Amino acid sequence: MNSIIDYVPGDTLLHRLNPVTKLALAAAIIVATFLADSYAALLGLLALTFALAAYAGVAGRLARLLKVLVPLGVVMLLLQLVFVRGGEVVWGFVTTEGLVSGSKVCLRLLGVALPLILALSATKLTDLANACVEVLHVPYRYAFTFTTALRFVPVFSQEMSAIMEAQAARGVEYDTRNPFRKLQLMLPLCVPLLVSSVGRTDAIALAAEQRGFYLRTRESSFKRYPLATADFAVLACCAVLIALGTVA
Amino acid sequence: MALDGIIQLRDVSFSYAGEKDARALDHISLDIARGEFVGVLGPSGAGKSTLAAALSGAIPHHFRGQLFGAVIVDGQDTCDVTLTDVSRVVGSVNQDIDAQMVASVVEDELLFGLENFGVPHGEIESRLSAALEAVGIPELREREIATLSGGQKQKVAIAAMLALRPRVLVLDEPTAALDPASTTMVFETLRNLNEREGITVVVIEQKVATLSKYCGRILVLDQGSLAFDGTPREVFSHGAELRAMGVDSPRVARVSNSLAQHGLTAPGEPCLTVAEAKRLVANLVGSKAGTLPRHERNPLPARPSRPRAAQGEPVVSFRDVSFTYPSTGAAVRDLTFEVYPGEIVGVIGQNGAGKTTLTKLLNGILHPDSGEVRVAGLDTRETPTSRLAAHVSTLFQNPDRQICKDTVLNEVAFGLELTGVGGREARRRASAVIERFGLPADEAPFSLSRGQRQMVALASVVVMEPDVVLLDEPTSGLDYRECMTVMETVAEMAARGCAVVMVCHDMEVVSDFAERLAVMAHGEIVGRGSAAEVFSDAALMAQAGVEPPQIVALSDALADSVSPAFAGISQVSGIVDLVKEAVGRE
Repeated sequence: MNSIIDYVPGDTLLHRLNPVTKLALAAAIIVATFLADSYAALLGLLALTFALAAYAGVAGRLARLLKVLVPLGVVMLLLQLVFVRGGEVVWGFVTTEGLVSGSKVCLRLLGVALPLILALSATKLTDLANACVEVLHVPYRYAFTFTTALRFVPVFSQEMSAIMEAQAARGVEYDTRNPFRKLQLMLPLCVPLLVSSVGRTDAIALAAEQRGFYLRTRESSFKRYPLATADFAVLACCAVLIALGTVA
Repeated sequence: MALDGIIQLRDVSFSYAGEKDARALDHISLDIARGEFVGVLGPSGAGKSTLAAALSGAIPHHFRGQLFGAVIVDGQDTCDVTLTDVSRVVGSVNQDIDAQMVASVVEDELLFGLENFGVPHGEIESRLSAALEAVGIPELREREIATLSGGQKQKVAIAAMLALRPRVLVLDEPTAALDPASTTMVFETLRNLNEREGITVVVIEQKVATLSKYCGRILVLDQGSLAFDGTPREVFSHGAELRAMGVDSPRVARVSNSLAQHGLTAPGEPCLTVAEAKRLVANLVGSKAGTLPRHERNPLPARPSRPRAAQGEPVVSFRDVSFTYPSTGAAVRDLTFEVYPGEIVGVIGQNGAGKTTLTKLLNGILHPDSGEVRVAGLDTRETPTSRLAAHVSTLFQNPDRQICKDTVLNEVAFGLELTGVGGREARRRASAVIERFGLPADEAPFSLSRGQRQMVALASVVVMEPDVVLLDEPTSGLDYRECMTVMETVAEMAARGCAVVMVCHDMEVVSDFAERLAVMAHGEIVGRGSAAEVFSDAALMAQAGVEPPQIVALSDALADSVSPAFAGISQVSGIVDLVKEAVGRE
């Protein structure tokens, strides 16, 4: 339960939708976010994402993610302020156009990241893979690769923190205040991480093959993922969202 | 050749690609019959995992190399069929628990194989629930695998294999990462499957006492060939030869072997359980039991006397230390203890009891929420972890997490350089230690074997000449010989005045090397005292979920029923000496 992409169990309509529909919904919000150009639309899409998250009981998850995304957004905003020049000068190097374009970039960043996390929080990875294979005819090996990669994000982050602890205990100064020094110290850690991930990948491939990976077909899945009425309704909403995005 | 042999190896040799000269398996022929429970022992690098890979079809289908001879599984040569076909007969479970999971929820993990092998969908539900029942985890069905304990994960892995109804299970050190209670849990599960379902079990394992309890047959590999093959009694009657190749024997077997060596009993089949050894000794001592004086000495052979100064200053002190992980709520409470220079303190308890948290509080990775941790006079809250590192050196369970340099020499010198020792001086000291350990200074650490990588990690600890050495499961994944090298090095450091704190699941190692113990359960220290006192306290052992080492159990049983003179003996030689003395009395 440490990772932000873990499944959060629930029984809401959002949980019960076909995984492909959820993916489509996330994609629609993202596409609309790129197309939309007004503050109202961008904020509205963000509000929609948070409303859905609150409904599915994962709002806390998204809020936690904001802690990471907001500083990133601020960096983007600053970059835009420096590079986009035009309009009136507000203060120092800050111009009105820079502010407008920077704040929109910032909102878009949030609008792209959050819907995906929302969809992944309300879907089991295995269901996502199986549904993509069944409904979208994605070859299973790609679906498996994708879900395994996602599943391993928390495993690797645990491994990374274990390695950092081991190095800290040896006296590597991770408590330094200098960010460049810290980065320089972290680079050597790629070696142990890489060694362990290559070994893991090989072991996973063997384990999957020993359990009949290559025999799997589109019909193999025990659970079925038919599109229900609710799915079509949501898909229709997705189309509307994208359409709204083009005009807003 | 036996007709009912489900697995037959006919003169099998294998060398991994790129290592043409070194044969991982060397002319092995053996038959495993249906329904056998076979244990495989051997020092590191003896070819145990290679044997498992050959049985499960991963050789020749996954690992590249040269294979000679034939591996016949259920009548088919593994070279003639695909890996998937071999897998229909042989299910395999590995040491790295995380690397064999393909799903994130228990149910999906079991479904994966069932779906792939095309089990009719009507049958899936019953197979799935039967497999979960068989390993005793039906309640975990909906759980996320990431939230399970190591023992539970290993059971899921076994259940996922069972659902496929294999006729053979091959397990490669399934309990290496588990505490004693979880190890017993896994082996009980295997025994049930073997007895009730008739599944043939082949299990590679370092824990000799466990193997001798559960297996009907034991294979011992040495340098790729089969050194011994027989019942546990037959195999462990060769205690001396096993020891020479780096394989331990159950301690009670050592007692009876040693008695036989001294001519006190007829040489023959050794004892395998504490009860058998007790009967043997009781018969030998017989009526002379009453004449034995109660010994005050606690024989600890081969242990140098230490400059232990109980009246001196403690080098580590914990005062009312509490800590709670913000994310999970797991906590340790009111830890208070002191460690003096030159002593070895063992910390024991089940997984999740808070032992690792204690080590992290000690080396400054974690800081206490309340209370105070002082190491070499420094308060860990006020001293940066990187400065503490000059005083505390940690040997981790997994050496791969601390190795990050391109050569052994750079690796060993790295810690010194970090604490501000000049480059040339650091290398000079590193070279001296490397030479003492007999390690290849210019090789890349990652090209060495697991045991040697642990030795590199140990060399990096020794070179620091720290005030405190912290050992977190120092012997897991090592064979008996490597384990003894590590522990003897640590004991030498203690003899020179270094304080040692070790967290360890192997109670034999703890009882051989630790003088004082702290017992942890549910985040608290629930008991402490000398090793002998702690191990004899049955209630405390039960509370901590720890099984006392065989010799302690034996001497307690003998003290109860034969003579109080046996109380508090924790070494094989102690028991043997006392029996010799009793038999010698007229």
